[in-house]
Amino acid sequence: MHEELAREALGHVDALYKLARYLTGRETDAEDLVQETYARAVAGAAGFTAGTNLKAWLFRILRNTFISMYRHRRASPEVSGVDITDAAATEEWLRDDMELDRLRKLVAEEIEAALMSLSEDARTVVLLDLEDLSEVEMAAVLECPVGTVKSRLARARAALRRRLRDYAK
Amino acid sequence: MSEPHDERAIDVALTEALHRLPHRPAPARLVRRVERVLAPAPPAPSPGWRWHWPRVLVPTLAAAAAVALATPVVVYQYNAATRAASATMITEAIGDHLRIVQAQRPLEIESGDGHRVRPWFEGRLEFSPVLPFAGDNDVPLRGGALAWFLDRKAAAFVYGLRLHTVTLFVFRPEGLPWPTAGWQRAGAREVYRAGERGYTVILWRAHGLGYALVSDADPREVVQLASRFGGA
Repeated sequence: MHEELAREALGHVDALYKLARYLTGRETDAEDLVQETYARAVAGAAGFTAGTNLKAWLFRILRNTFISMYRHRRASPEVSGVDITDAAATEEWLRDDMELDRLRKLVAEEIEAALMSLSEDARTVVLLDLEDLSEVEMAAVLECPVGTVKSRLARARAALRRRLRDYAK
Repeated sequence: MSEPHDERAIDVALTEALHRLPHRPAPARLVRRVERVLAPAPPAPSPGWRWHWPRVLVPTLAAAAAVALATPVVVYQYNAATRAASATMITEAIGDHLRIVQAQRPLEIESGDGHRVRPWFEGRLEFSPVLPFAGDNDVPLRGGALAWFLDRKAAAFVYGLRLHTVTLFVFRPEGLPWPTAGWQRAGAREVYRAGERGYTVILWRAHGLGYALVSDADPREVVQLASRFGGA
């Protein structure tokens, strides 16, 4: 990998580690996942298109590495798909006028716990959305159409709001 | 029912809440690991030799004189590159050993039974590590853990030797900066032995895998131990 590209790639280590932690749930696994991501990036550096978003490219490698190395170990029923549950049942709460205040009072640990209760796919799309990636870039990371990204993100955020209800009361 | 603008406000509040997630930067040890992965590969010495030879074969007296002057320099550079490359592996082996010794939970599987420890690595590595020594009363096997050796995953088998820790790293050997000189014939195979900072490191290759045995025990004991591991 070119020295300048390597330097820029190293600058994204915190963002990659953050996503890796929320995907694996374990610090040691997250560290291994990040290192493996960089190893694969170095090996496949020729596949990176200059001028495109390096962080998005690294996120894509990380996600694929996670799927190939870690996801198969899990037996969790949450691992596939975005949480599509009880939308109608919670519709009333979602429109509760008090929700805004509740959201503002949440502390970091509560938000983290709610996020971890989501499926891996939902967690991924929510976290990627925080990384200032465009929808096109997120679609490239998730390897799906832009429209799918939009719907996944909307469902994931709605699911997160439902989870946060429990912490906000 | 709330107005549409409330939905937007809630959406913003949710994003703000997500930005309050605990900030946990990558640990320094991870940054160092990543830096090693991103570091340029050490220069391979052999191509340099081949690259320069055509020039020194020019059949003139002046070229012959140039060869006579340049050869010691080239040899020096070649040896320096070799030493630097092998030092990388020695330093890495000691660093990895220290990470295991200093870790609060150094072992991912704790068992003195090699038949339990070795299978634990199945599915966790891209190769099947060979456990050359299952331990005994003097050098009991304590367990194993996943480790990184330079740019690749490795199996770490950890033993006790009185109060010393002995670590055997097993990894894929291809593409590593193995020493190109200084190997010693020891029994059925060749080993490379080095000492640094009070640690003894013994490298060897067998069964299509690479091995690095590391300990701060007496160097003679480590050498004797290596023979029981099949490395001497």
